[in-house]
Amino acid sequence: MDKVRECLKSGILCMLAEVVGMDVLTVKNLSVSFFRTEGEIEALKNVSFTLREGEILAVMGKTGCGKSVLCKSILKLLPDIAKIKTGHIYIRGEEITGYSEKQMQGLRGRFFSMVFQNPMTALNPCMSVGEQIGEMVRLRRPEFSGRERKKRVAELMELVGLDHAGERARQYPFQLSGGMAQRCVIAIALAAEPAVLFADEATTALDATVQAQILELLLKLRERTGMSIVLVTHNPGVAARTADRVALMRDGELYRIGDVEEIFDESTPN
Amino acid sequence: MWRKFLTNRHLIKMVNNIGKFLISVLVLSVLVFTLSRLAPGDPLYAYYGERVEKMSVEEQDQARERLGLQAPLFTQYVRWLQRAVHGDFGISYQYKTDVKEVIAAGIVNTLLLGGLGFVLIFALALFLGLFCAWREDRLADRVVCRIGTVTSCIPEFWLSLLLLLIFSVWLDWLPSSGAYAAGGGGSLPDRAAHLVLPLSVVVLGHLWYYAFQIRNRLLEEVRADYVLLARMKGLSGRRVLYRHCLRGALPSYLSMMAIALPHILGGTYVVETVFSYPGIGKLAYESARYQDYNLLMVVSLLTGTLVILCNLTARLVNERIDPRMGVRSVSAGGEVRRL
Repeated sequence: MDKVRECLKSGILCMLAEVVGMDVLTVKNLSVSFFRTEGEIEALKNVSFTLREGEILAVMGKTGCGKSVLCKSILKLLPDIAKIKTGHIYIRGEEITGYSEKQMQGLRGRFFSMVFQNPMTALNPCMSVGEQIGEMVRLRRPEFSGRERKKRVAELMELVGLDHAGERARQYPFQLSGGMAQRCVIAIALAAEPAVLFADEATTALDATVQAQILELLLKLRERTGMSIVLVTHNPGVAARTADRVALMRDGELYRIGDVEEIFDESTPN
Repeated sequence: MWRKFLTNRHLIKMVNNIGKFLISVLVLSVLVFTLSRLAPGDPLYAYYGERVEKMSVEEQDQARERLGLQAPLFTQYVRWLQRAVHGDFGISYQYKTDVKEVIAAGIVNTLLLGGLGFVLIFALALFLGLFCAWREDRLADRVVCRIGTVTSCIPEFWLSLLLLLIFSVWLDWLPSSGAYAAGGGGSLPDRAAHLVLPLSVVVLGHLWYYAFQIRNRLLEEVRADYVLLARMKGLSGRRVLYRHCLRGALPSYLSMMAIALPHILGGTYVVETVFSYPGIGKLAYESARYQDYNLLMVVSLLTGTLVILCNLTARLVNERIDPRMGVRSVSAGGEVRRL
């Protein structure tokens, strides 16, 4: 009974995946190090977890424990000095650990997207918001005409709760508030209908009210699109309210993963 | 279409900019006029040469009177301005003919050399900067950086002589002096052949400085947060560089190039001398050296006007590229931080 309700909640995609029994993302024994002149810094040590279709996984831990590195190493957006030492990354059963930059470009945005911590600096200050969302739409749907693309941008902006989309699209990031800018970043992240969304401290830079709005938006989008979300946060409240499961990290290790109730019933996480 | 473009707002902006331009030129003329007359030296020397020393004081005063140099500074300026507005810039003391004639002989050559050099430097620097930023810290970038640093350290006169020696003395491929062959009268291939060497020196002397600037500006942009989002979209590194980073780096590059114009034009002087290229670089220097006031005014105003025009264009273009630059034109909702 529980299972049926969950499937209904997460939409048809989730149900299909349940039938096939596939995890959308699997990370096995991932170790990442930064090689600096002073020596090697181990950022991730033997991290393993799976992300199920349509679930929200909160990754928690102190600053500097490797949460962001985890997301970025899956998307391969780490700087050159960082290397994946060991481990495997699978998406829907296919291994992508050895993918070239070119292959990764095909996956980024389409299979997984990312929302960053500071929306004000994440957007290009010299491009209008509509242009930046449109760029993602163009990558995904190159066959669209200019008008179709504009229509799609407006749709996306409405989806993330930006009103007066036509007018807003012409605005530049410095003309937006933090909350609006983050909605734009989310619109970009969603433009190609990704299967996994990494929200890397997506609400940390925002005030409590806007934070709640953005989280609600993420939940709503999950219902509509059935995507999985990796919610990186250091705020237990955020995790408890939104996540299905919680992973705890400390010093580059993922030492505990489980359902929300399970984790929060125990002692408070570090 | 024109009607749509020429709305009231645009008209106001245009009038505003033209007004600013005129005021700048006027202020510049006042400054050059005053400063040139404050500088030590006697313009009579330019006119009469050594003969001045044999003239009596009365004769000197009469000569000054004739040249209009006895009146108070302000009156002199007003007189000059009145004539200038009608297109009469007076005579050159040194050459004793109309200033316009003196300049007309060389201005086309200098503009050709300086202008072509400027365009080439601008385009090549952009290309090199982009290339180096794209291959940052890899072999190609390092090699280009080293070569660039070395070439930018070579003095222009030495490089000119070296190129002359190689290409016109030893190989005899290119002419060594002048702007066109003596009898030929300046056909296009002939002029081009005469331009190659001076142009190479002008370009090589400046190129790396600007290429290095744009490279570093681009690398600053490459390290910005928004690049991560752009790459997250699935854009390739090259597309991110062209479409995102270049856009951020371009405004400062354009401003820099606008200021660089007189520098590059002025830099043609050494080159003009070595290659005996008939331009106005030499005139500019000599007019200041010998108090040839009228000539100095026109040469300074010409370069000054060019600089002001370039700055104006750069600012207008920059506002299109980066709307944060147009502090006053930003409509409601924009927060532009100022000091």
